[in-house]
Formats: sequence, structure tokens, C-alpha cells
Amino acid sequence: MDEFKSGFFIGGEACEGRVLVVDDEPDIRKVVKMTLQKAGYEVLEAENGEKAIEVINSGENRLLLDVVICDIRMPKINGAEAVAYFRSNYPRVPLIVLTGFPDTDMATSFLRQGVVDYLVKPVEGEKLRSAVARAIEQRELAKL
Amino acid sequence: MEISDHTKVAILGAGRDGLALLDLLHHIPSIEIVGITDRNPAAPGLQRARELQIPVIINVPDLIGNHGVNLFLDATGDPEMEASLHAHKPPGANILSGSASRLLWKLIRHESKLEAELLQSEKLAGIGSFAAGIAHDINNPLQLILGLAENLAEERDLTTVHEQAQDIIEAVKRTSAICRDLTRYSRRASPHQDVLVPVNEKLDEALKIARYASSLHDIEMIKQYQPGAAVKGNPDELLHVLVNLITNAVHAMERGGGTLTLETTVHDGQVHVRISDTGCGIALDKLDEIFEPFFTTKAPGKGTGLGLYNVKTIVNKMHGAIAIDSQIDRGTTFTLTFPKAEPAG
Ligand SMILES: Nc1ncnc2c1ncn2[C@@H]1O[C@H](COP(=O)(O)OP(=O)(O)O)[C@@H](O)[C@H]1O
Ligand SMILES: [Mg+2]
Repeated sequence: MDEFKSGFFIGGEACEGRVLVVDDEPDIRKVVKMTLQKAGYEVLEAENGEKAIEVINSGENRLLLDVVICDIRMPKINGAEAVAYFRSNYPRVPLIVLTGFPDTDMATSFLRQGVVDYLVKPVEGEKLRSAVARAIEQRELAKL
Repeated sequence: MEISDHTKVAILGAGRDGLALLDLLHHIPSIEIVGITDRNPAAPGLQRARELQIPVIINVPDLIGNHGVNLFLDATGDPEMEASLHAHKPPGANILSGSASRLLWKLIRHESKLEAELLQSEKLAGIGSFAAGIAHDINNPLQLILGLAENLAEERDLTTVHEQAQDIIEAVKRTSAICRDLTRYSRRASPHQDVLVPVNEKLDEALKIARYASSLHDIEMIKQYQPGAAVKGNPDELLHVLVNLITNAVHAMERGGGTLTLETTVHDGQVHVRISDTGCGIALDKLDEIFEPFFTTKAPGKGTGLGLYNVKTIVNKMHGAIAIDSQIDRGTTFTLTFPKAEPAG
């Protein structure tokens, strides 16, 4: 159902992939977006789990979403609930957790649920970009 | 010695010992200080008594002959005074003097020290549960700062450079405010520091702290503050009371959110502070138990069971009262009532 197309074009520019950033803080969405856009990713935003589910279920996104980066402590549907939703409804979209609170128990439980990376803020741009690239790569490999 | 529920006390001697007795006893609701006296009109306890609106009796025999007194506390250490007391006190009144009086003072002081310890340890235990909230509030601005700084290293456009540098400055300020609020909250309440406390301001301050204990994300806030709500007391202690009540209210709404209402009203010389939630409610037969030390229904690390015990201790000390209105699955309202304090001058 979520067919993947890599290297598609938007406005004539090469696109490395489409990333959804879920965080309740506009500041965080802003810098994550800035960081990823530099590496050629298209970035969509959602301010909580509920909005994220809306975004992924709308139109072409369900087909073209490559990675979801998700905060945990959020209003409405929180990160943990969103992760569970994504895992069961879109098992082939890789999930990266980006949280303000380093918690090993939580990290283990997320990784067990199939989350590909658990990053703790503040994370350097380079690290974030390579985590996204790795997530996309792994998914490609899994498809072969 | 007969100690009825309500004891009328006279303090003889307003030096160091008399002052300490005054400071400690005037907090206790069931004790009425009928008067204090000293041969030296400049004794420090007399000044303090005037501040507390406790009668200062200039003429020592006037106080000794007062028939309303149940108990004379002789803190003069003067044998002549002791003799005169025994000779002239009204029949039926009791005397505590000399070393007995000092012993009493020591016991009270010890108890109030224990109380302060308990308060402080509960506060510190609570701060353990703030970790997630604090980490969130510090690491988010750090992410912003890091991302912007990385961008600035390459940014060519001068307008963007200025804007982002400004964003970094703001983010740093926000982060340092967190530490300021928390250190103010965690410090030990200074003893015997009764001042005029603006309740509305304290409620807002408490709300900031309570955010760390529990996420307020799914909670709708209603504030209805009446201007001029001021009480007499220790600001640190009142803050502690409000943080506890707000945290409890938020915990009660953990499942599915709800509405938190903070309200102050002033009438008939009283200040009412209402903290309402639409949470799980408290069973009728638990209403007394919840004030007992270590009674908690929360997981370890989240509740100590000391919150309401300390709330009650502090509110009593401030001559206030606590009323609870609760319905299972509907919600709970805690109402605190204090005597209204008038701004000096
Ligand atoms: N607003 C409230 N709604 C429902 N239950 C409450 C509320 N406030 C207090 N309680 C109950 O009273 C208990 C004792 O509260 P407290 O003394 O503050 O200790 P703690 O919060 O550490 O458990 C709580 O565990 C809870 O069961
Ligand atoms: Mg509590």
C-alpha cells in the first residue's frame, strides 16, 4: 500500500525523500526542517500525533512518505501512541524518535517496536541527516 | 494541669526566650496569646507582639492578675517574678517557669524543625519526578540553538544571521529562566518570615513549577483571579501548598485530560483559593486518610503521600482552612480559606 519511489522531482529539483516531522514545538520543527532541507529532503510538519496521522492519511502522502521523525512528549495523541499507530498501520515507513528526555527503558521499548533510531535532543545536523539517510537505505534493502 | 482545647496564654518576659515562645505559639490555632509583658519597654518581643496584633501589657501586675489566663509562661528567668506570679496569679491558672518553660520552648522548636525537614524532603523527593519535564524544557531550546548555530556557520545572508542570532539569545534566556524558577522553588523556606503574599502571583508561579511534575498538554486551563487576594504567611510555603494541590489535580486528570480551574475570591475579610479538576475524584471514606502522611495511591517515584500532610500543616500555620468537594469520576475542588491580609500603609 505504501509504494516507494526514490529520487522523485519537486519543482525541477532532485528530492532525496519526504520526511514528516512531528513535534509540538514550532522551533524544533523549524530547525529540523532547515537541517534536512539542506540535504535535499522535502519536509512536512505536524504538531502532534493526531495531526501526524491526518497528514499521513491524506492524499499522496501515504504513498510518498519516506521517514517519520517523532517527538514523544506532545499533546493530543502523544509520541508513544503515534509510534504505535504508525507501526501497525504503516509498518514500512521508518520511524525515528527525537526526544528531549534520554530514557533507556523507553528507548529499548521503542526499538523493540521497530523504531529505527532513538535520538536525544540536541542532536547535530550531521547525525540527524545520516540517521534519515540510513533509515531510507535500510528500507530500500528490505524491499530487495 | 488541665489543657482544654483552647488555651489562653500570657507570656512574661519579651527577651530572646519570650520572643521565641511568641513566634512559635502564635501559629497554633488552639492557643490564644492574651498578652505579653516585660519590664523593659524596648524588649524585642514587645515589638514583635505589636506586629502580630497581640496585646502588649506595660504594667506587669495587670497581666498577672488577668482572670482570663489559663497558663502563664514565665520566660524572665527572674526568681522575683516567679515569686510574684505564685502570689498574685488568679486561682486555677497554671504557671510554667524556669527550666520547665525552657524545656517547652525546646520541644516546640524541635518539632518545628522536624516539620521543616519533612517539608523540604518531600519537596526534594518531588523534584525527582521533574526530570522528564526539565529535560524537555532544556533540550528543546538546546536543539534550536544547535541547529541555528550550525546554520550560522554557513549563512551568507546578513538579515538571516541577525534574526537567528536573536533567536539564539531568546532561547538562552528561556532556558536560564527554568533554572531560576526551580532553584527558587527548591530552596529551604526561610523560617518565621511572615509577609504579605499576593496569592494570584503565587498561583501562576506554582503553575510553572507544576508543569515539570506532570505534563499539562491535554489540560484546559481556566483562571479566575480576583485582584487584591493577599494573605499573610511565608511565600515559599504557600508556593509549596499550591504546587502540591495543582500537581494532585493534574495527576487526577491523567487519563484523557480535563479542565483545571484556578480561582481566587475575596469577601468578608477572607481570601478563598479554589483549585478544581475534572479528574478521578476522591471516595468519601478516603477524605480524612488523604491528609495522613504516606497515604498515596500513586506509583513510587510519582507520589510520596506527604503532599497533603504538608499542605495541611502549612495552611493551619497560616490560620487557614481546607475544604474538599469531590465526586468520583467527576472531579475535585480544594478550597483554601485564609484571613485576608491588608497591604501595610
Ligand atoms: N485532586 C485530587 N483528585 C483525586 N485524588 C486526589 C487529589 N488530591 C489528592 N488525591 C489523593 O490523595 C492522595 C494523597 O495525596 P498527597 O498527600 O498529595 O500525596 P501524593 O500526591 O504523593 O500521592 C493521592 O495519592 C490521591 O489518591
Ligand atoms: Mg501530591
